[in-house]
Amino acid sequence: MHCARTLSAIRPARFLAPILLACAAPAGAQGIDLFSPETLEATGTVSVAATDGEESWLDGGFGKLDTSGSDGAWRVRPLLSEGNLVWKPRFGWALSATVVGTFQGGERDEAGLSEAFLTFKPKRSGETRFSARAGLMWPPVSLEHEGADWHVRDTITPSAINSWIGEEVKPIAIEGTLARNFGGHQLSATGALFAANDTAGTLLTFRGWALHDRKTLAFNAHPLPPFEENDVGYQAPFTHPLLDVAPGFAARPGYYAKLSWQAPVPVRVELFRYDNRAEPEAVNSDVEWGWHTRFNNVGIQADLGGARVRAQAMSGRTRMGFVEEGSRWIDMRFRSAFAMVSRPVGKFEIAARVEAFDTRHRGSWWGDEYDEDGWAAVLAGKREFGPFTGVVELLHVSSDNPAREHVALPEHQAQTRLEADLRLGW
Amino acid sequence: MVRTTIQFLLIACCAAQASASPLTVRVVDAKGHAVRDAVVTLRPAVGAHSAPRGGSFTVSQEDMQFHPFVLVVPVGARVAFPNRDSTRHHVYSFSPAKRFELKLFAKDQSRSVLFDKPGIVALGCNIHDGMTAFVVVSDSAWAAKTGANGVVRFDDVPASAARLSVWHPYLRAKANVVERQIGPGERAASFSVALRPAPMAMDHGY
Repeated sequence: MHCARTLSAIRPARFLAPILLACAAPAGAQGIDLFSPETLEATGTVSVAATDGEESWLDGGFGKLDTSGSDGAWRVRPLLSEGNLVWKPRFGWALSATVVGTFQGGERDEAGLSEAFLTFKPKRSGETRFSARAGLMWPPVSLEHEGADWHVRDTITPSAINSWIGEEVKPIAIEGTLARNFGGHQLSATGALFAANDTAGTLLTFRGWALHDRKTLAFNAHPLPPFEENDVGYQAPFTHPLLDVAPGFAARPGYYAKLSWQAPVPVRVELFRYDNRAEPEAVNSDVEWGWHTRFNNVGIQADLGGARVRAQAMSGRTRMGFVEEGSRWIDMRFRSAFAMVSRPVGKFEIAARVEAFDTRHRGSWWGDEYDEDGWAAVLAGKREFGPFTGVVELLHVSSDNPAREHVALPEHQAQTRLEADLRLGW
Repeated sequence: MVRTTIQFLLIACCAAQASASPLTVRVVDAKGHAVRDAVVTLRPAVGAHSAPRGGSFTVSQEDMQFHPFVLVVPVGARVAFPNRDSTRHHVYSFSPAKRFELKLFAKDQSRSVLFDKPGIVALGCNIHDGMTAFVVVSDSAWAAKTGANGVVRFDDVPASAARLSVWHPYLRAKANVVERQIGPGERAASFSVALRPAPMAMDHGY
């Protein structure tokens, strides 16, 4: 018995020894570095938020933010907003990976895998560069996010466009990018095939646009706001953004493509196209449907005499369900646009953003009685203190969303939030 | 005979010293603001002037940038690339004057490169697309970059006609260079140049 236990202990050890050695080894001659302090980073955010107005969509309401007011009155709450553990191993000179585990606190605690993808980035040999990614990742749409933990650069709350990207548009993709310099011009073309994003559009349809830094975590679900009593049962009360509804992984892959042009002046223009090619009549046993969602996004970024200007405009359409009376159950157009200016002022960086958003329903289940219109404005200030970054943000959002009548609220609601974040990074 | 030769050499030496004098070059932009990191090179019209060769120089990586942004070195210089960031860098250039690749090296590690041909060498990092810098390898005895005041001063320029050039990575001109002749007696020169705004890094987000 003793011998058997010893042998069973030795065999895995012999099997694992080379792997453990490789993991423990510092970057070798081949550029391999699986575990070292350099491959790991941790980031976290603690916050204090004062919010008025309605209940957040995370709390079962139609509130646009990820914090709730107190029956319309101000509610002040300290929050452990987010923690991220980032692992970036290198498997060679050109091959690396990014794996991000995330905890999100606030109105609803959850933890899970945020991103996990391989990056192939060979050395450029001339004016042309090729790179590729494969795995679970956000498509390159947002002009507001940066870093492996995908944090918002200049404000606390991203725009409605990039809030939606963060919550519903994250597929498992294989993506290639070709970039080339032509004189002073830089051109970049990206193309990708993806799977497991069949439900993108569910939350946007039933809740409307929102503004928050809540991210989709693999296999986790977002809650949907309450349905009208007669509509219960047609759709699950939640949505899993990372899901292939039709049978077979990647049996009906979607695609996205991006063109980026930078002139010999500090201005960059980006065009992005997404189509998940989901089957609108596909439904699984949880009553989660395929949502055929496609959208175009235009992004512009410019450096103007010390001020950085960024703007995005998105227009898209999502369809779900069967055709009845000449139209699908859901046939919704959605649009949004924002413009943001940021610039250093002394030791601070100040940012201001304005945006507008709407939805237009022409489905046989949800018609134009559910059309939404809204706008938001944000003013934020940021300062770095070594490994800490402090951000203070004042946000106001106003919207007319008839679906609020499902929870006996007037369709027009306005909400203001003052939030202070302390971000830490190691 | 020996005495005559020594006298000739002394006279020639004194004459040469008397003919060398300082030259100040100022580079400004279209609004008259000083331009830093412009490389000024002087090439006398007559006479062979051997440029210094070799030497040791440094381009560090710190806060995800190369420092300095522009480095002027003579042909044969060896440039060290110490990494002072906590992340690895992968320094490369595909410029015709020097193609090289310094594969991933970590904090407090350094690699070096011999720059053995004259020309402009654009540097990049394969991991961090926003990092860029330039090594100007010169075969002239008179090459230097402007400081924050936009001025370069050469102390020992021959008193002969010469060709003066100014290069800057964002200068609006063919090959990013403008040139002019200066006369034997000129001791100061100025250039007004048009610059492009610095390009934004093509950030791919990973």
